[in-house]
Amino acid sequence: MDLAKYAELFLTESREHLSVLNDQLLALEREPTAAEPVGAIFRAVHTVKGMSATMGYRAVTELAHELESVLDRVRREQQTITPALMDALFTAADALEAAIEASVQGRGDDVDVATPVERLKAFAAASRGAGAPAAGTPARATPARGAAATAPAAPAPPAVARGSGAGRGVLVRVRLVAGTTLRGARAFLVVKKAETLGTVVAVVPPLEALQAEAFDRDFALRLDTTLPADEVIGALRSVGDVETVSVESPRTGGAAVAGGRGAGGTGAPAGAGAATGGGARAPARAPRHVRIDLRRLDTLMNLVGELVITRGRLQQLVASTGDGALEEVVSQASRLIGELQDEIMLSRMVPVGHVFDRFPRLVRDAAKALGKEITFEVRGSDIELDRSMLDEIGDPIVHLLRNAIDHGIEPPDARVAAGKPPSGTLTLSVARERSTVTLRVADDGRGIDRVRVLQKAKEQGLVDAGKTELTDDEISRVIARPGFSTAERVTDLSGRGVGIDVVMNRVRAMGGAVEIRSRQGQGTAVTVRLPLTLAIVRALLARVHDEVYAVPLAHVTETVELAPRAVKQVQGREVMVLRDDVLPLIRFRELVRLNAPPSGPGQVIVLEVGDRRAALVVDELTGQQEIVVKQFDPVRDGLALFSGATILPDGAPALIVDVGSLI
Amino acid sequence: MSHTVLVCDDAIFMRTMISDILTQSGFEVIGEAETGVQAIEKYKQLRPDLVTMDIVMPDMGGIDAVREITKLDGNAKILMCSAMGQQALVVEAIQAGAKDFVVKPFQPSRVLEAVQRVLG
Repeated sequence: MDLAKYAELFLTESREHLSVLNDQLLALEREPTAAEPVGAIFRAVHTVKGMSATMGYRAVTELAHELESVLDRVRREQQTITPALMDALFTAADALEAAIEASVQGRGDDVDVATPVERLKAFAAASRGAGAPAAGTPARATPARGAAATAPAAPAPPAVARGSGAGRGVLVRVRLVAGTTLRGARAFLVVKKAETLGTVVAVVPPLEALQAEAFDRDFALRLDTTLPADEVIGALRSVGDVETVSVESPRTGGAAVAGGRGAGGTGAPAGAGAATGGGARAPARAPRHVRIDLRRLDTLMNLVGELVITRGRLQQLVASTGDGALEEVVSQASRLIGELQDEIMLSRMVPVGHVFDRFPRLVRDAAKALGKEITFEVRGSDIELDRSMLDEIGDPIVHLLRNAIDHGIEPPDARVAAGKPPSGTLTLSVARERSTVTLRVADDGRGIDRVRVLQKAKEQGLVDAGKTELTDDEISRVIARPGFSTAERVTDLSGRGVGIDVVMNRVRAMGGAVEIRSRQGQGTAVTVRLPLTLAIVRALLARVHDEVYAVPLAHVTETVELAPRAVKQVQGREVMVLRDDVLPLIRFRELVRLNAPPSGPGQVIVLEVGDRRAALVVDELTGQQEIVVKQFDPVRDGLALFSGATILPDGAPALIVDVGSLI
Repeated sequence: MSHTVLVCDDAIFMRTMISDILTQSGFEVIGEAETGVQAIEKYKQLRPDLVTMDIVMPDMGGIDAVREITKLDGNAKILMCSAMGQQALVVEAIQAGAKDFVVKPFQPSRVLEAVQRVLG
């Protein structure tokens, strides 16, 4: 379990380096003579090599080593960048990634690194043949002792207060080797060893503080023993990771150890005083970042979600008491809970670049495989999104990019024939609009072939046989049908018929919406709108019969009373006239197949997703509420009316309406 | 005569790595265990000079295994293999009877030093 944790750390760091590696390889390909990318690649590979060597990931180490050698030669100008070398480097980078992922899962030997290694070696041999003296001896990685870097430079000797058993026994000072790992446990071993030599009267800092690593590398103990000093020193030094041991007799020691920081003494609480050292010598090494297990953040988010629910109940209860003082305290607590919620939400936000940085490489490879020229640009990669959301959205975005590369952007000759520049443009732009984030994948390719889509839609009976034209919305709906594809052949990239419908389902499950705009010959833009976070949304509470449902406010534009005269029939379907608009009318009772007659005229919630709108009829609106979303697994096939559930302030559960699927 | 070792770790690549380090230095790895329960069984059966023990293993962790092995043999020499951040567990293992520990990621020289200390 903890090994997995370590491997995860290795994996996380390696992935960061792989991302750098890919970015810089792309930069190098664009500008083969630039020195900066070579240096950056070299460093990334070198770090991966060092880490994998200490982890024992031999495949990774071997490949990283070979990459490092090649780059070293490039750096020393003993090797020039050629397209063939670039390809070898890209292939090796892929293999490195595979090897890392596999290694972390304990399957490092399954990955074929021999082929990419041989390929890199061939370049080395060629450049060596050209007379360059290459340093080709496979260096054994000598990993640095990482922790050493964080050890403070000049620790003061520990101070032992007079009170800590002074007078009895000898004072033993121990200094551990700088960079000792788990020095708390090491110190514990030393103390345990000392106990075999006599009676340990006192330990400073106290044992608990030692075990909590609340010390640098020096500690002291008072040992009541009959053994000579040399023997004590010898015995304690044998513990390992012990740099020095000194023994002072009570007489000389008394003066030497006086003073100090008043901590110590066996009764001192753990971590007090001596733990952090005096203010003057506390080195400034406050970390600016910590790594937190995502699951922990999820737990925090869940807890604060429950807290928000409890707050709602508390507010409801307090309002009924009429106790002013109590109300004041509750409102203060409410505000604090709100701030807490905001802070936790912020701590879960990460720049989309974390996931999107790997896309340039992906686009390059895909374009190359299809013989297309594509300029790819990512805009707004610093925009932040909830981490769990970002993990979810990665695959759908990849799908959209692949669609654009495969179906959208034409081969260079076709583009030239159409009067376009040979190189296509593909843009992924991210923007924040109030409480939503939009991600747009736009290309300047051939656009959706409306004729083909229409023809195919007719063949599959999705539209009227008499139809002659499809609107953008109709196109969206048709191509979103599971299994709908116009691709003539299945390529590596897409066209397997699991396309845009998968994207739409995923996005909808996240409470978002997808919009497709396409112009024949000019390109396609797919816009994905997402809420900022999955976990907490504001919702309108609507009662239908004796059940309360939650409708996310992000999709609500207004609410109106249902006026019977506003309801009309158009082509056998009910619609509602709202000012100049005609909206399809959806009666919630019918959706949930309720037979009991409505108790009143009803309320209308006007819903909007993208530019599609509808009027949802419910019995009554009961309020607005921040709700904590407990997500359902996306339902495959069939109409998914609800995206999740929540607990209302009164403790009752409520289903959350999936507006996207309603409209 | 070379010292005999029982290597206990749930990860194959870790066991392989430890075995390699020790074998290359003339130790004889006479057994491997993937779980705490296996470790105890193999210890009874093989009576090795040294045990390397991972802390976290399925089906009884290393610390409980140390406790049981120490009950069987008060002189058992057990070296804990720990990861960073397992301080409290290492201390617990030492209290349970482990003689020393090494921290992953392993450096062969440090593993061998620790082994020498435990056997010394």
